[in-house]
Amino acid sequence: MIDALLELARRRVDGGRRGGGGGADALERRVERTALAFEAGRLKAAGVTEEAGVNVRVLHRGRVGIAGTTNVGVGEVGAQHAAPLLERALASAELGEEIALGFPSAAKLPRVDTYIARAADAPLERLIQIGQFLLSRLAREGCQVNVAIEREVGETRVANTAGAEGTYRTTGVGVSADVWRIAGDDVLAIGDVVEGSDLPSDEALEAVVRSITTRLDHALRIVAPPEGALPVVFTPAGLSAVLLPVTQGLSGKAVLQGISPLAHRVGEQVFDEGVSLTDDPLAPGRTASRPLDDECVPSRVTCLVQHGVVQRFIYDLETAARAKTESSGHGQRGIFAKPVPAYTNIIVGEARVPGPGSRVPGELGGGLLREVNDGLLVDDLIGVGQGNVIGGAFSHPVALAYRIERGEISGRVKDAAVAGNVYELLKRIAGLGDDARWTGARFAPSLLLEGVSVARR
Amino acid sequence: MIDRLTAALQGSRADFTEIRVEQSWSSAVTMRGRRLESATASEDQGGFVRALNRGAGWGTASFTSLDQLEAMVARADELSRAVRLDRPIRLADVLPQQAEGVSDLDGDVRGVSLAEKKRLIDAYNGEMLAVSDRIVDTLATYRDEVSEYWYANSEGARLHEVRPEVTLSGTAIARRDGTIEKGLESIGLRRGWNSVQGKAAGFRAVAERAVRLLDAPTVRGATYPVVLDPELAGVFIHEAFGHLSEADFVYENPQAREMMTLGRRFGKPVLNVGDNGAAPGLRGTLPFDDEGTPTQDTALIREGILVGRLHSRETAAAMSERPTGNARAISFRHPPIVRMTNTYIGNGRGTFADLIRDIKLGVYACGAFGGQTMLENFSFTAAYGHMIRDGQVTELVKDVVLAGNLFQTLDRIDHIAGDFRWNQMGGGCGKGGQYPLPVTEGAPHLRIEAALIGGDVPPSA
Repeated sequence: MIDALLELARRRVDGGRRGGGGGADALERRVERTALAFEAGRLKAAGVTEEAGVNVRVLHRGRVGIAGTTNVGVGEVGAQHAAPLLERALASAELGEEIALGFPSAAKLPRVDTYIARAADAPLERLIQIGQFLLSRLAREGCQVNVAIEREVGETRVANTAGAEGTYRTTGVGVSADVWRIAGDDVLAIGDVVEGSDLPSDEALEAVVRSITTRLDHALRIVAPPEGALPVVFTPAGLSAVLLPVTQGLSGKAVLQGISPLAHRVGEQVFDEGVSLTDDPLAPGRTASRPLDDECVPSRVTCLVQHGVVQRFIYDLETAARAKTESSGHGQRGIFAKPVPAYTNIIVGEARVPGPGSRVPGELGGGLLREVNDGLLVDDLIGVGQGNVIGGAFSHPVALAYRIERGEISGRVKDAAVAGNVYELLKRIAGLGDDARWTGARFAPSLLLEGVSVARR
Repeated sequence: MIDRLTAALQGSRADFTEIRVEQSWSSAVTMRGRRLESATASEDQGGFVRALNRGAGWGTASFTSLDQLEAMVARADELSRAVRLDRPIRLADVLPQQAEGVSDLDGDVRGVSLAEKKRLIDAYNGEMLAVSDRIVDTLATYRDEVSEYWYANSEGARLHEVRPEVTLSGTAIARRDGTIEKGLESIGLRRGWNSVQGKAAGFRAVAERAVRLLDAPTVRGATYPVVLDPELAGVFIHEAFGHLSEADFVYENPQAREMMTLGRRFGKPVLNVGDNGAAPGLRGTLPFDDEGTPTQDTALIREGILVGRLHSRETAAAMSERPTGNARAISFRHPPIVRMTNTYIGNGRGTFADLIRDIKLGVYACGAFGGQTMLENFSFTAAYGHMIRDGQVTELVKDVVLAGNLFQTLDRIDHIAGDFRWNQMGGGCGKGGQYPLPVTEGAPHLRIEAALIGGDVPPSA
């Protein structure tokens, strides 16, 4: 449909007084999802979702307009829906202010594997097997096991009136498992997720089992939390509270809004030398990878922070135009809204392209516990993302955390909270673990930070 | 459309089949700072089929192409049959309803141009910007939707509704040097264009507060007597208790059932909690849930004792209780799951002044920037707070984070005032990947004898 749509747009869109400034781009996405829900140890539901949608943006008389629809139809039939959609985008442009948005021209796209036939073609029975394997390996007395499996097969086409285009197919398989244990008023839930373009390997599933059982075993004993300014190990999953302010601050949008503490600090040593952050849309086997962004900008690896020095911010076409710079290829758009700058895969630590699987070692903390005489290992916090995130200050009760005593985990702590300022804490990193793994679209090791405020309640 | 659904149901081989179809028109205008961020009008449409067979599990299919309806009914039946179950899924009986419901559109938003919508939100945004040059950034969004909804099942239910919704939200960011503070305004109504006129004062107030917060000290972290305003009390009861009262949390888990045994004491006799999907005029209100069950007022805690929970047809049957009309889906993309509607703490007695009169040192926590519960633990970030000293509300404080254990905290609610109010906010509730579901919360002012307030962060090493 979008080719018909862009053809129409070429005729309708007006370059405006300055001339030549008009144009349009569009994205069409079709997705078929298969989902299985295993509840309390048994398969309860199976479902499919078929969705299609088109998002179009016009630059008309120098102003930007957006429209989206799921009323798309199939193939040629879709063309009849193009005209009303374009009219809505033009109406939206009437209201906008002028912006010098430039649509990229045709370019060679990098190769990245986003589609794995084996995952796309796997029959329902194969997905059920994966769930049953996890159920049987995770079953234990007094616990309830839930497993969810989702396989998505998609096709994305993005194109603009300047001649740039790209079409790619994607597969994604997500398998999550949660073990719930309720004893009196103590509720414990420990879960893990393995996600990638391919079906998870047996090793990856075993790693999920090991990761959950290790944390569950350590959690059975409840100990009193320590108190004071203490060393805290944040696991790859527990890192979110520490990284969120930084990734928010590295968004070109926050810089433009004047709320990023990192604005004007490019080239400065803001963090410890051990802090490196890279956005990698080309990581093989990851569901966030793609050959081009949703605005036709070819994908490339972006180094955001190198050895503690801020390198650059992420931009989409519009924020780049406002900031008078170039898009870094981070335009992301849904069906109903305009593109926004968003990360793909975030790699924490030394820049490298990790393998597709999740690697979970047997030991919590990736070897960092040895350094800690009395402290905390944080795996999950409550309320991350609430409040005034971008300033860097955080304060969260723990959802899942363990006490470290004399280099070993002594038990789970409840009723504790951790607090600190990310910009202070990341000035010095006491250690990076050897347990780097994928958590969603983030590849990171455990991190040992000193002087984190730990409070009891 | 109902005839099409009836024909598709007749073609189904499954023992039970239900179909939902939705068609919605929505528009949104967002201002950021002094400029228009976006103005869009969207159309969304699609359907959801759910099938159940004896000895089998649920099969579901959702789709955006309505031409696929018959094929999707067959697909859902097929998937149901692929899920073999030894313990069958049963559905509690609900009298099949036939109803035609058109909510009061209160000025149909579809008849208002995008330009008029822009003028409205531009004006509210302007109110925030005009407050002070300390306001460095704003975000103001107008959003509306009218959705037409059809539901039919193989037991004979046939429903058709037209539902309006309109929300306004505003964020004002104040900054001085390195200090950044924000104020949030949020209004959400199941109404139309007329209901969002004349709302400038609220936008101005949050921007003024953001500026005042720049000078406010951070609250000193400690355990205090804490008074919650109706907004925060409502968010608290929804997040911290409401989710535990959703029966899908307990029905398959014997330990959870024990924890949530009816008759268990959850609080002092002053505490009454309920969920009312039939309360007139609220955002969480609908005549029927997404299984065709009529909504109702369900008592959850009465005089401190757990007396009820929220059900779908499946959880009600599994626990031999009655469906409460709480099976809801955010859209045709999702299956109905057990959700809240309009959750409330019932009115107590006396005034706000009575609550604080004998507090020597305490915190008055107001508004909510956010809240999260993790099982029995919760954390809420108040929008702002005031210290209470010797029975008086005194200085403004910021970074008021209320954290605690649900059971302890509910039990420590010792005084509830008689100033109940519904909070008609936008946003919504998230669960099981379904966000945002329109809900409302309501409460009077209430007092917690002792609660942990996190605030100041000691300087790190």
